Amino acid sequence: MKRQKLFSALALLVVASLLLVACGSPAAPAQDTSAPADDTGAETGPAGDFAGDILDAGSCDYGGKVLSIEAVDRLTVQFNLCKPDPAFLAKIAFTPFGIQPKEWIASTGGTGELLERPIGTGPYMVSEWVRGDQVVFTRFDGYWGEAGSAQTAVLRWATEGAARLQELQAGTANFVTNISPDDYATVESDPNLVLIPQDNPNVFYIGFTNTFAPWDDVRVRQAVAMGIDRQRIVDNFYPPGSEVPHSFTPCGIPNGCEGEDWYEFDPEAARALLAEAGFPDGFDTSIYYRDVFRAYLPEPPLVAVEIQAQLRENLGINAQVVPMESGEFIELATTGALDGIHLLGWGADYPHITNFLDFHFGAGNPQLGNAHPEIYEVLQQASSIGDLAEAAPLYAQANNAIKELVPMVPVAHGSVAHAASASLGGAYYPPFGSNEFYRMDSGADTLVYVQNAEPISLYCADETDGESLRPCQQVVETLLDYATDSGDTVPELATACTPNDDSTVWVCTLRDGVKFHDGSDFDANDVVASFAAGLDASNPNHVGNTGSFDYFAYLWDALINAE
Amino acid sequence: MAVQSPPVASVEQVQDYRNNSLLFLTFRRLFRQRNAQVGMLILGFLVLVAIFAPALAPYDPDQSLIGVESIDKRAGPCIHLLGCPADQPEHYMGVDGNVRDQYSRIIYGTRVSLFIGFSTIGLAVIFGTIIGAVSGYAGGWVDNIIMRIMDVILAFPSFLLAIAIITVLGRGLQNALYAIAIVNVPVFARLVRSSVMSLKELDFVTASRSLGASPLRILFIRILPNAIPTLIVQATLSIGGAILEAAALSFLGLGAQPPLAEWGTMLGTERNQVFTSPHLVFFPGIAIMVTVLAFNLLGDGFRDAMDPRLAQLAKS
Repeated sequence: MKRQKLFSALALLVVASLLLVACGSPAAPAQDTSAPADDTGAETGPAGDFAGDILDAGSCDYGGKVLSIEAVDRLTVQFNLCKPDPAFLAKIAFTPFGIQPKEWIASTGGTGELLERPIGTGPYMVSEWVRGDQVVFTRFDGYWGEAGSAQTAVLRWATEGAARLQELQAGTANFVTNISPDDYATVESDPNLVLIPQDNPNVFYIGFTNTFAPWDDVRVRQAVAMGIDRQRIVDNFYPPGSEVPHSFTPCGIPNGCEGEDWYEFDPEAARALLAEAGFPDGFDTSIYYRDVFRAYLPEPPLVAVEIQAQLRENLGINAQVVPMESGEFIELATTGALDGIHLLGWGADYPHITNFLDFHFGAGNPQLGNAHPEIYEVLQQASSIGDLAEAAPLYAQANNAIKELVPMVPVAHGSVAHAASASLGGAYYPPFGSNEFYRMDSGADTLVYVQNAEPISLYCADETDGESLRPCQQVVETLLDYATDSGDTVPELATACTPNDDSTVWVCTLRDGVKFHDGSDFDANDVVASFAAGLDASNPNHVGNTGSFDYFAYLWDALINAE
Repeated sequence: MAVQSPPVASVEQVQDYRNNSLLFLTFRRLFRQRNAQVGMLILGFLVLVAIFAPALAPYDPDQSLIGVESIDKRAGPCIHLLGCPADQPEHYMGVDGNVRDQYSRIIYGTRVSLFIGFSTIGLAVIFGTIIGAVSGYAGGWVDNIIMRIMDVILAFPSFLLAIAIITVLGRGLQNALYAIAIVNVPVFARLVRSSVMSLKELDFVTASRSLGASPLRILFIRILPNAIPTLIVQATLSIGGAILEAAALSFLGLGAQPPLAEWGTMLGTERNQVFTSPHLVFFPGIAIMVTVLAFNLLGDGFRDAMDPRLAQLAKS
């Protein structure tokens, strides 16, 4: 009897809610009339037949760039920004901002199965992840775009470059990533293989944390900048096509090379500076690095030993080489906890100078010690200017300040290449992001792809490594995508994103008729829910793998409701 | 009354006694062992290489030849006598990834490896002997406690234990040496303990005790010298293992650190080049193999020479 009453009350409530939604005024400000948060954490507001969700920061006081993200109607999403962001389009094309169904995110609570089985709108869906072995993908026949040729795609991994190449030579793989520089000639001379260079802007640098002596003395840092023969390193330890940097940012990025060229190699001037700083006979220090292949540093142990030798010969600095476990190294380096010099680099996530300069030299990054206001104040000013020509003088000023203060020494812009079997149709590698399986034709039912390492998780909102982002990119799509041959953005789940006059409001029109792998329809609420899970620290689905959601925090300046 | 003088051994008798002492007999049999001969020959050669490394190595092992010679990194061996063009710089074992002469590094690596072998096992012998001697001679609860601790150390796979110790102490050659020494201590402690336990009940020890010799004198002057031959056999066999363990630790980046020319480090640094530059893993690998083989052959020879049953078999 009691149960019957309860059901009746619930039914009445549901009917009343529906009536309220149907009668609600669409003109009313969404955030003012929003209903309580549902289980996706985003607020639901009335918007005609479609109940649009809103992610609302309330104000810009939290320090981030996003004021609100609003599902205006089923196929329209509006991003309201706190300040103009000239890299907005490039950012939303980045894989961590991929869109998954609102209901799926809510049902997993933002973790658990979400980490292993993402549901997207992409041309492939994850069918099985055998930990330590492979990830198997199956073609999604309901894909809105061009379907992949292979019914099944298999992603495997091998940490050793020689092992990856051997897979390709043996014919057990169609595509392998990151060929060792010494193997270029082998691949090029093999008629069954194709070398595929990738034009990815990156930089390898020697970092100092200026909270530790003697790196707190700018003369010591300048001495290292002048005492390292960068040309010798690039000539001997990098593949053809690599360059000695003019500035921290590669010249291919607009405004990257504004300002003065970097220091020339001058060991005598370097020794004089070191003597002036009180170290005529050098000093003892450590060179920290991780032995992991990266496009910006293809042979870490060799380069570490070379820098060790140059420091000893050119400056009398006695450095101990300290290889570290990758995760520990990244954690200690990025938190500014390494007392010596550290060898690190950066590959472009999106084609804008803010991706290089703002992250490394911004006010909140402890990696290089105390940030320099001479650099970050100019960067803050420049980052809100959309016109590249207008921002150029500011970036010249920032680059000159970086040269003067030497928070790090840019050593190389590395070139990188991958390899494919000659029979693989459409083999390519874009400058940004990963290549997509569906664009390549193995001529068989299965495409086998071998990368450097196993993915950490497949919920890429909370991942940063390329080995995780690659499989995500096959499954989960973003609003925009990067072109296959440039850094330009092209439509993906959004057919267009248009700004207002001062670029603080972006309205994205979504593609109609798109379905997720679970059969549900894609709409604007899925966009809001996906962003809310990553960007709003108080969202119930803001759990992920580590919970840090680094790219949300870094690319949008801060997380909403973060403590 | 005529005073009878005690019998005095003749010079011949003393000589005969010396010729039949255990140590002398052991070495005499050792030199007749074919395995031991080969082991000693190789070891002698390695010792000479280590001593005369500066004279034998054409280059400083740490010197990068970038800008010094026109040669590519990881260039293969070039020996003019074997047809390598005269205009190319001669490198018997090629150059490594940092453009350093591989032959010079292998030669200097001999010093490091022999040092590792002798120092680690030397430390293990010293501490193992003291621990084993005290344990065996004291007996009772002292023996019980010490041996249980040794059992605990022996219960761990030695290499894993060495890695665990390095994790605590920090990476580097010095800590790797301590780690290898520590994992070898129980082996020698057990060996010495068993020798002491059997020897302390013998008549000559009882005689010494009845004559008023102190326990320390009995232990170190009477008992331990008799345990030395077995220690030598075990130590010789263990040196090869220690060199191998140190190379493995260095291969993993836990032992010797760059730019020190250590064979395990050289192997580890160039492990990815096994197909493209096989000489960079071949020569350090061969060097490790030959050195370990020398110690193993010598150790086997020692063991055979000291085994009375094998000696009887050889006579018959």
